[in-house]
Amino acid sequence: MNHMKTIAKGVSALALTMALGTSASAQDWSAELGDHDGTTIRVQSIADPFIDAFREVSPAFTELTGAEVTLDSFGYDPLHEKQILSCSQGSDEYDVLFIDGIWVGEFAEAGCLEPVEERVAAANPDVMAMDDYIDSFKGQAIWDGQLQCLPIAGYWHMLHYRKDLFEKHGLEVPKTFDELMQVAKFFAEDDGDPDVAGMAMNFQRGSAAGQQFFEWIYSAGGKPWESNYPGSDDPYADQTPLFNSPEAVEMIEFFKAMVPYGPPGVEQFAWDERANAFTQGKVAMINNWSVRTPLFTDPDISKVTDAFDVAMFPHADGASSVPPVGGWIMCLNAHGQQKDAAWDFMQWFASPEVHKDFVLAGGPPSRHSAMQDEEIIAAQPWVPTLYESAKAAWQEGRPRHAMTFEMIDAIGLQVNRAIVGDATAQEAMDEANETITQMLTRAGYLK
Amino acid sequence: MAEITNTGTKVFARARPEESDRAIKLFFIAPAVIYLLLLSVFPFIYSVYLSLYDAKLTRMDRKWFVGFENYERLLSDPLFLKAMQNTVVLTVSSIILEVIFGFLCAKVFLSLREMRTGQVLRSIAILPMMITPICVGLMFSYILNPTLGIMNYLLSGVGIEGPSWFGNPTFALPTVIFINAWQWTPFMMLLMLAGLVSIPDSLYEAAELENAKWYHIARYIELPAIRDVILIGIILRVIDNLKLFDLVYVTTRGGPGDSTELLTFFAYRQDFRFFQVGYGSAAAVIILLISIVVTTVAVAYLRKVQK
Repeated sequence: MNHMKTIAKGVSALALTMALGTSASAQDWSAELGDHDGTTIRVQSIADPFIDAFREVSPAFTELTGAEVTLDSFGYDPLHEKQILSCSQGSDEYDVLFIDGIWVGEFAEAGCLEPVEERVAAANPDVMAMDDYIDSFKGQAIWDGQLQCLPIAGYWHMLHYRKDLFEKHGLEVPKTFDELMQVAKFFAEDDGDPDVAGMAMNFQRGSAAGQQFFEWIYSAGGKPWESNYPGSDDPYADQTPLFNSPEAVEMIEFFKAMVPYGPPGVEQFAWDERANAFTQGKVAMINNWSVRTPLFTDPDISKVTDAFDVAMFPHADGASSVPPVGGWIMCLNAHGQQKDAAWDFMQWFASPEVHKDFVLAGGPPSRHSAMQDEEIIAAQPWVPTLYESAKAAWQEGRPRHAMTFEMIDAIGLQVNRAIVGDATAQEAMDEANETITQMLTRAGYLK
Repeated sequence: MAEITNTGTKVFARARPEESDRAIKLFFIAPAVIYLLLLSVFPFIYSVYLSLYDAKLTRMDRKWFVGFENYERLLSDPLFLKAMQNTVVLTVSSIILEVIFGFLCAKVFLSLREMRTGQVLRSIAILPMMITPICVGLMFSYILNPTLGIMNYLLSGVGIEGPSWFGNPTFALPTVIFINAWQWTPFMMLLMLAGLVSIPDSLYEAAELENAKWYHIARYIELPAIRDVILIGIILRVIDNLKLFDLVYVTTRGGPGDSTELLTFFAYRQDFRFFQVGYGSAAAVIILLISIVVTTVAVAYLRKVQK
């Protein structure tokens, strides 16, 4: 019976692959793309793991149009600095900008982006396949009621855990915060694996701890401000901060209680430290963006290639899992001088056909078709869990207006103060709430 | 009439070379003046101007005049006040360490100055101050990493569980101070060594005849002789420490909590992370004013001592 099922699965996968392949090969790019021989399209991006896949896929565009594609990558903060400063000077150094989905309000307000809404409407719907994007990430490319950019590289959080150790100790994968803490405590105190800590989280002051607040608050049963909750029709209608709500304070107390179960120095952990600790087998669990998951399977850098698995983001008792969503949206530089060529590249790169190649090369899947693609699932077995996470995520999980950076940093400072014992959770979050109330009032977001 | 003309001609003839000299002088000074105006005076005036506005770089078209409100906000901002406190603690502690260890090292190298080994060691000893602070920060981040760093590994060898050097608010600022002092002690050492070398041998011989101990020599001969040098070193290091940024940026980013937040880091975050250029400029102006006041007082004190 199982054998039959396997064959049936194989046949259907083959059929799907052939169908996609047929559809892909049927795409006549000459009708969609111009001749850009002699042009160089310059792309500015975050130095995230997907850039290798980007570089692997892009040369095909050169074959089609003659345009060279170059990519420069930077760290998170330097990229934001460079992009805003370049924009303020009206620089056309880059034609295509990858920006974090949560920066879209700031960039749109500063006039750095040329909205792609009209170009998408004028383009071939089969190439754009806008309905194929996953809503929770597609929403991050929309601001002021229009599509600003293309949602190319979506990330969602999953719980990554050491399945070998869980099997060895007969542990269940935690679903709730309480279960998570129990398992983390078990590993931290278990003599059988003395070098493996329980759980690593982002506690470093600034963006790391600040973003973590937003990543966990919905699954903790809370919300960051009054009208921002999953399914809200107008998340920015009432921005009265709720950073010191009972749910928020309880969540920060939970964070603090998790510190002893983390690796040494976890108070200073950000994205890299968290992922490195897991890659080196130093920690049993991490919550992590899916873009880094392929790295854990790379034998050159990972010691846990076959030893890990993923699960849905945990939640508090009585709440449901609302996995964080993030990632990078591809935008047209409003000050660029070769927008048509850049747009051709963008629509080509974002098309379902090229997106699949991008994902197979290690990029993050952002479309329904990619999430359901058997070939992709075979290459990235965590994709079904990722798809489930993507469907349960809330697009407004983190603020996306012009004060985002400042707001996240202010919360990150207070979360970290509570973590390291500079203040109690209640004191820290009271101060965060007060600071953000003043900040939003000055910016005109609060009356 | 002819005389008058002659006199006039004489006067004219004398004035021309002077004016020409003046023009030549102005011509040669002009690049420096233009450089100063463009790169120092204009940015400063523009910073003062911006500090009087509520301005964000991403919406400069919507900036509005707020007078001294940014300064009032700064002086009641707990983070800015903490940054000021940390900067004072870092400056004073680092300089005390640098003077003490700089003097001790200078004494060691003074006694070794005739030996080739001493000269080689002196060259090695000044290496830390030749490394850029970013690299120093990265180096110590690795050394003091609680999981992979060699420091805690060595401590564990003697039964001590090393702390999270940059993650614990009790240790973070002292660790930054230690690294800063480690890097800049050679600078003080070099200054003091130059001062010590200039002390006449006869003073040491006289002290020897009087059976003076080493601390007598240091207290009554050496320190008074190099007091001016130490003061100049302190002034330079105060200015340096008020500008310290890279080390904190690489190692702690102002954390944990606000335990290593410095004035420069505060201003940087306002200006280049949040693009609140009005508020950030106000912070920068305050830093500049503090630098000017501290330096002026120190220089006045130095002159008084010299007199």
